[in-house]
Amino acid sequence: MSDWSRSPERGASWLVHLMLWLMRHLTWFASGIVLPGITAWFYLTSATARGASTEYLGRVLGRRVTPLDVLRHIHVFASSILDRALLLTGKAGTITIEKINGLEDVDAAVAQGRGCVLLGAHLGSFAVLRTMRERCPVPIKVLMYRANAGAYSTVMERLDPDAAQDVIPIGDIQSMLRVHEAVAAGCIVGILADRAPTGARRTFASFFGRQAAFPVGPFVLAASLGVPVLLFQAVRTGKRRYQVTFTPFAERITLRRACRDADLSAVVGRYARWLEQSCRAHPFNWFNFFPFWERAEHVPTKARPLVPAAASASRARLGSKFDAAAG
Amino acid sequence: MNIETATHPAEIAMQSPFEQELAMLIVTALHLEISPAEIEPVAPLFGDGLGLDSIDALELALAISREFGLELKSDDDRNRAIFANLRALADHVETHRTK
Repeated sequence: MSDWSRSPERGASWLVHLMLWLMRHLTWFASGIVLPGITAWFYLTSATARGASTEYLGRVLGRRVTPLDVLRHIHVFASSILDRALLLTGKAGTITIEKINGLEDVDAAVAQGRGCVLLGAHLGSFAVLRTMRERCPVPIKVLMYRANAGAYSTVMERLDPDAAQDVIPIGDIQSMLRVHEAVAAGCIVGILADRAPTGARRTFASFFGRQAAFPVGPFVLAASLGVPVLLFQAVRTGKRRYQVTFTPFAERITLRRACRDADLSAVVGRYARWLEQSCRAHPFNWFNFFPFWERAEHVPTKARPLVPAAASASRARLGSKFDAAAG
Repeated sequence: MNIETATHPAEIAMQSPFEQELAMLIVTALHLEISPAEIEPVAPLFGDGLGLDSIDALELALAISREFGLELKSDDDRNRAIFANLRALADHVETHRTK
């Protein structure tokens, strides 16, 4: 099985380069014609993406998935990458945010002055969060795994160097100290919480009727920060059109010492249910083109060893690291 | 497992009294499944050694702040050295603690 942290982004990097070239050299009309060609090419060359899309769509749509469904899925993904490039090149005006739900909930959380956490997913566009900067009285930071993100992120950073200061990279010892300082200063910090890469501390939750691995890191972090948590999604509803929804998730996430694992499972379960609902409402906005339900086990460490005994099973699942997570 | 039944009694002797106190704080604050005595004073806390991660670093920093009144900052260039191992962390905390 290929590692998500490499294959989806690396697999899409040529796509990004091509689309950036198109953006600079061709009109929107032309790229609108070329986009289906790119989609077809991606469809034909990436068996992993094709298989993952077919499995996912089968579960969400509850019917037999046709090649046309998968093509549509990849097309929405490719279109959203193009939109993200537009957002990052300062052409945010060409993107229409047709509706923002729950902005008052963000205002209420921010008004407390202690910052808040936005949990998102690889569903629709997280970059649309950037368009919120003008509407938001406090800075928005995004926690991202950058070290292994490949050409895609490099290109995106080149497009908008200013964005780099809004990104808190995961991987350093002090990464989470920076997140803590950001929320202490009243900032909003966005975190993607749906990918649990190999080696990440994880737990399992029901997702479309089957257990899927989710990273516990974002939730443990939010609990440590003790600030309000909201869910964020920006789904593509039409050509360069997005709908944004903020949903209150917790005034603060509390993990009780005596039943920490159970509390974590419960909170991750709630997140998974929200994600499931979002996928049902916007099936083609899901951008995890890897086998979401088939993940290798975590890597044990000395501090959190993998204990094979049945009694320790739930703890063992929560072991290991977060640093490989998010993205 | 607790200190009395630790399988490596030699390691207990290696921890100074303050290192023992800090090791206890690490195990408690991070919900680790080892005994404090098992944290070797000069073994790396993060990565390949004990296997802690950056969220652990935050929880540890918050616990140290509560217990010893010492703020660990993200922009401190010495962070890697301070968090290197139990001994380095203990030295830093003991030197800069305010309570």
